[in-house]
Amino acid sequence: MPKQIINLRLNGKPTEVAVEPSWTLLETVREALGYTGAKEGCGTGDCGACSMIVDGRLITSCLMLAPQADGREVTSIEGLAANGTLNPVQQAFIDTGGVQCGFCTPGMVMAATALLKANPKPTFEDIRNGLAGNLCRCTGYTKIFQAVELAAERMATK
Amino acid sequence: MTQTEARPSTERDANGHKYVGKPAARMEGPAKVTGRTIYADDMKLPHMLHAKILGSPYAHARIKSINTQKARLLPGVEAVITAADLPKYKKNPTNRRSIVFPDTEALFAGQPIAAVLASDPHVAEAALALIELDLEALPNVIDPMEAMKDGSPLVHSSLSGIDRSEEQGHVAVDLESGNQEGKASNIASTTPFKRGDVEAGFAEADVIIERSWRSAMVHQSYIEPHSTIADYADGELSVWTSTQAPFYIREELATALDIPESKVRVTATEVGGGFGGKIYLSELMVSLLAMVVRRPVKYIMSRGEDMVAATPAPFAQVDLKTGMKKDGTITAIKSQLVYDSGAYPGASVAAGALLIGGLYRCANLDIVGYEVLTNKASVGALRAPSAHNATYAIECHIDMMAKELGLDPIEVRLKNAVVEGDPLPSGQAYPAIGLAECIRAMSESNLWKGRAASKQHKNRGVGVAVGGWMGGLQPASAIVTMNPDATFNVTVGCADITGVNTTFQSITAEVLNIPREQITVTYGDTKTAPYAGMSAGSKTTYTVGRAVKLAAEDARRQIFEVAATRLEATPDELEIEDEAVRVIGDAEKSIALTRIGRWTTNFGARYPVVVGRGSITATKMAPGFTCQAAEVEVDTDTGEITLLNYAIAQDCGFAINPLSVEGQMQGGVSQGLGIALWEEMQYNSEGQLLNANLLDYRLPTARDLPKIETIIVEVASEEGPFGARIVGEPSIVPGAAAVANAVADAIGVFINEVPITPERVLRALGKIGNGTN
Repeated sequence: MPKQIINLRLNGKPTEVAVEPSWTLLETVREALGYTGAKEGCGTGDCGACSMIVDGRLITSCLMLAPQADGREVTSIEGLAANGTLNPVQQAFIDTGGVQCGFCTPGMVMAATALLKANPKPTFEDIRNGLAGNLCRCTGYTKIFQAVELAAERMATK
Repeated sequence: MTQTEARPSTERDANGHKYVGKPAARMEGPAKVTGRTIYADDMKLPHMLHAKILGSPYAHARIKSINTQKARLLPGVEAVITAADLPKYKKNPTNRRSIVFPDTEALFAGQPIAAVLASDPHVAEAALALIELDLEALPNVIDPMEAMKDGSPLVHSSLSGIDRSEEQGHVAVDLESGNQEGKASNIASTTPFKRGDVEAGFAEADVIIERSWRSAMVHQSYIEPHSTIADYADGELSVWTSTQAPFYIREELATALDIPESKVRVTATEVGGGFGGKIYLSELMVSLLAMVVRRPVKYIMSRGEDMVAATPAPFAQVDLKTGMKKDGTITAIKSQLVYDSGAYPGASVAAGALLIGGLYRCANLDIVGYEVLTNKASVGALRAPSAHNATYAIECHIDMMAKELGLDPIEVRLKNAVVEGDPLPSGQAYPAIGLAECIRAMSESNLWKGRAASKQHKNRGVGVAVGGWMGGLQPASAIVTMNPDATFNVTVGCADITGVNTTFQSITAEVLNIPREQITVTYGDTKTAPYAGMSAGSKTTYTVGRAVKLAAEDARRQIFEVAATRLEATPDELEIEDEAVRVIGDAEKSIALTRIGRWTTNFGARYPVVVGRGSITATKMAPGFTCQAAEVEVDTDTGEITLLNYAIAQDCGFAINPLSVEGQMQGGVSQGLGIALWEEMQYNSEGQLLNANLLDYRLPTARDLPKIETIIVEVASEEGPFGARIVGEPSIVPGAAAVANAVADAIGVFINEVPITPERVLRALGKIGNGTN
């Protein structure tokens, strides 16, 4: 299939990439651009392991076609730790034990980051709703809930 | 509410511990939260091909011919491989892993029958549709209760030579299973346990309950699907795979391919969830494909393939009759347990049969378990395999009998709970266990204490249940090496599926009294590490952790021997403090560890390199028990159940890393709740899985679960490091029963099939259907 060139800002950097029109954003970022942090857990938008932020909105990158990302601002998990410093959500996931096998973690951290950006003081219900599209099979979510609460608390006192 | 947070350890606690018993952040945490951790699908090898697999469209079919010509001609396709194209390897007709592609008959829908290899996975996928199959559908049997009957279509014509090695990795009980030799049947094994006289026991009882309990086939649903890469070059096979069992796979591959174990290197890549389901599945297939094409081959299961053709956990029907006296004494337990093993043996029936009569003292038992074959994907382990199905039945019976007799559900459990010395149904005696301690701890939980307040609300209920797991036993070993800069590396052969590396770090830090950050862990590679059993059966900390402790102690002894010559002291007069070896009680006489590091590694070094060695065999089981409680609200119009609160108390022996232990407890709880309320693999009458995706197969989400009240109980084991015992598996076991008991408390009806869907609730309430469920 002939390829087409798309241009996006990936983790703040202007990025040009040749894609087949049927490629997803996920495989473009993972296979063509080499950022393998986002995971494919289902390929059908059900698990959230591929979550990225596109133009400020949390999306499942396995359901977005690469050409749809043309001209847009894409943040993957690799784009969160500025200059090697973990963002508060990442640090809180480590501190509370919100990380186990780690496969859902990139998507879960993206979802939590997007949630706290939109809603810096979420209630417990807000947190549950904000993470409802991201499946975790290891933790039972308790320590993830605590991570989001801790991150919100630390961000508020900063 | 428990909230544990990792923090640096500095002070010794009342037990004299500085690192163990303290919450420790995962050592690989920063890599995981930044997406830098490398899973199998993140790896690329030079010249690598992608495999896509064609599965059988029928649940049972004769393979008459396979025409691959059109598929081969698709541009970009490197090879199309069927059974006829594979080199010779050792097959065992009753071991699914050893049948890469069946020669003549496919035994379940989705069973692999051909592979396409291409550099571009999309090309390989497209070529699958061009393979022409000539199959003849054969009579199938999908329901295990039908499959047990005489005259049912046979899944296998012969069942000799069943391999039980994988099951034994999960549970160290004598699997007294015999298949019915000589007679063609779908019953792969029968496990009987008898004690006393059940009829006499029922005659003594004041209440007898007899019911049948069904629990659905469920899937491990690790978020990372099965992922494997293999490469064969210069007579050496290298496999990178998401597995809990690298050494087990090495042995299986060496045997199947008839090559020495030393020529097989298995590297357990980071496991994106396993839960018993990632032991050994596609590795032989991917290895053979790589051997055919002499190029590296990667196979990543799609979610749909993983649902259809991995190794889910069995459906079971448990028929149970129990009796109890007015004072709460359990007088008899009679049960038939039927587990649906799918198309190949592998359901751990003995474990279920053992547990149904192993939670409580009871003089009279008559238990028989059947492992029955059907034309479905054959099952594997899921966290305490077969335990939840049996526990659901017995734990609901305890509540039903207690209710009839007006007894308290906690008190009646405490009265009968097994303690050290009580016999298992197999006759083996329990070592020190903490079942009663867990029940007492639960009675003190916020959830249980709030029971009366909960009852003020209509349609709310609270239920309790216990569960346990015996755990596995396998030998293990470890090496602790000192570097010149006085940092240490721990080398172990196990895969890390639960944070055990961080636990090993804490153990080593404790023994050497140095900061955790100065210890690294190398793991999961059969070529560089000494042997370890599979990370299954909850035994990794219990066995490998013990080896690590011994290796660290050995390293410390070697360090002291070096230091003793310089400090004019004997090794047993020395200690490590502030990263120096010093004479106990004399801080003036000390040598920095870095100096010892250099003295044992420099040119012309006078002392040998410090390499501690720990090697163990494990023979004493350390069973883990848990008591859990649920508070639910039932909407009697819609049948929907809301989980309001949940609590778990579990005996972990000693929590080396409380953060990990709580994580294992909470994670197991969520899986138990999935079994209780949502998860069910639904097959139609032709053996086709109807919900092979994560939307229709419903996992617990963040919206479904409350924060879980988590209570660690510590009853030390005899052999485990610092008294630790098994942890990972017990937590999944009682969820179904606890929820069913809570629902019964809310609406007065015990629902005898899980998951307890709204439909089943409404049936139980007589609002739809015929009033039974």
